[in-house]
Amino acid sequence: MIDIKTKKALIIDLENKEAETKSFPDLMKYIGGTGVGLKLLEIYEEKNPLIFSIGPLNGFFPFASKTSVVLKNDGLIEDLYLGGTLSTRLKFTGLDSIVIYGKSEEEIVLDIQNSDVTFKDGVTDIQSLGLPGKRCLMEYDGKKMLADQYFTTPENYLERYFAENNIKGISITGTEAFSPNNFEDYKKLYMSILGEKDGMRVDEGGYPSCSNCPMGCGKSKVGEIGGNVLINSLVSCQFADKIYTDIGMVFSCLNTLGYNYTHEDIENLPSLIEETIRRAS
Amino acid sequence: MPKILKPIQKDKCTGCELCVFEAQRQLKKVGLEESLIRVFRKSSPDKEKQEFDLELDPRINMLNVEKIASICPRQVFEVIDKKEDD
Repeated sequence: MIDIKTKKALIIDLENKEAETKSFPDLMKYIGGTGVGLKLLEIYEEKNPLIFSIGPLNGFFPFASKTSVVLKNDGLIEDLYLGGTLSTRLKFTGLDSIVIYGKSEEEIVLDIQNSDVTFKDGVTDIQSLGLPGKRCLMEYDGKKMLADQYFTTPENYLERYFAENNIKGISITGTEAFSPNNFEDYKKLYMSILGEKDGMRVDEGGYPSCSNCPMGCGKSKVGEIGGNVLINSLVSCQFADKIYTDIGMVFSCLNTLGYNYTHEDIENLPSLIEETIRRAS
Repeated sequence: MPKILKPIQKDKCTGCELCVFEAQRQLKKVGLEESLIRVFRKSSPDKEKQEFDLELDPRINMLNVEKIASICPRQVFEVIDKKEDD
């Protein structure tokens, strides 16, 4: 069942090798993705966290195919967007965010299945973890962090965090399934959005695609940095901005899934995020 | 006549998983659990090149396979008629 009343985050403490799932109903107003990620950054500020977040549309609609990554680098807040299979896998864990903090004494690999975390030592073959077809593997080889052996993020902020905190890799498997209440409307809307692919600002190609995106474009490999606040909170692809800055379309998607966001919620999002950035900076 | 879904051009697959999600939608589900199509990324030492493998549960042919084939942006699938003696 889609939880429309709270945001759920998996909190992972690398130093003590502990994990717990926490519910944050007050974070609903941040919609998701970067909005939620920034608020969690503020909440866990003293622990210098790394935060992966998805939005309400990930997993459900085409082109909503990125995962927000929020962290601090040299004291500055950075927001990055990673493609591949991560956003759908994270959605199917039932979580909205994963917050990682603390430094592991030795190199570590995290094996996450839904809300369960197993801490594996750094020599673990990451390919042996998770459920094939339902997992996303993020692997740091000392130079780049690659998701699905291909997708990465701009700059080296994520790599620096992995290196400094001894994270060798993360496997994420999601096995939950959802069924929106009005499934026929949902299906129609899905196909209608998929039919908007001519509005994408990238050309179709034969490159590896992000999950739930038909484009196979050459841009998705390197991910994104910064950008439109609404897009980043829904965590769609920036190149789908014609689709996901159409407020009517966004409301249709949210309403079909059962969310009760109002125009004011969307209008207030930029200032809410601005205030959060100011406090977390 | 019953139809059969066949992946005839696996080498063209880009791993978008639209076929997986279409099959799940036909079963009124959004997710990967008990999916009748599985897309696997083949491990490759060449990180620039990715290949995908597709596994189809035979029960997929009870669904609207033409719709699944047509959603693929790379024309990976073919739908063929099932002959009586198959």
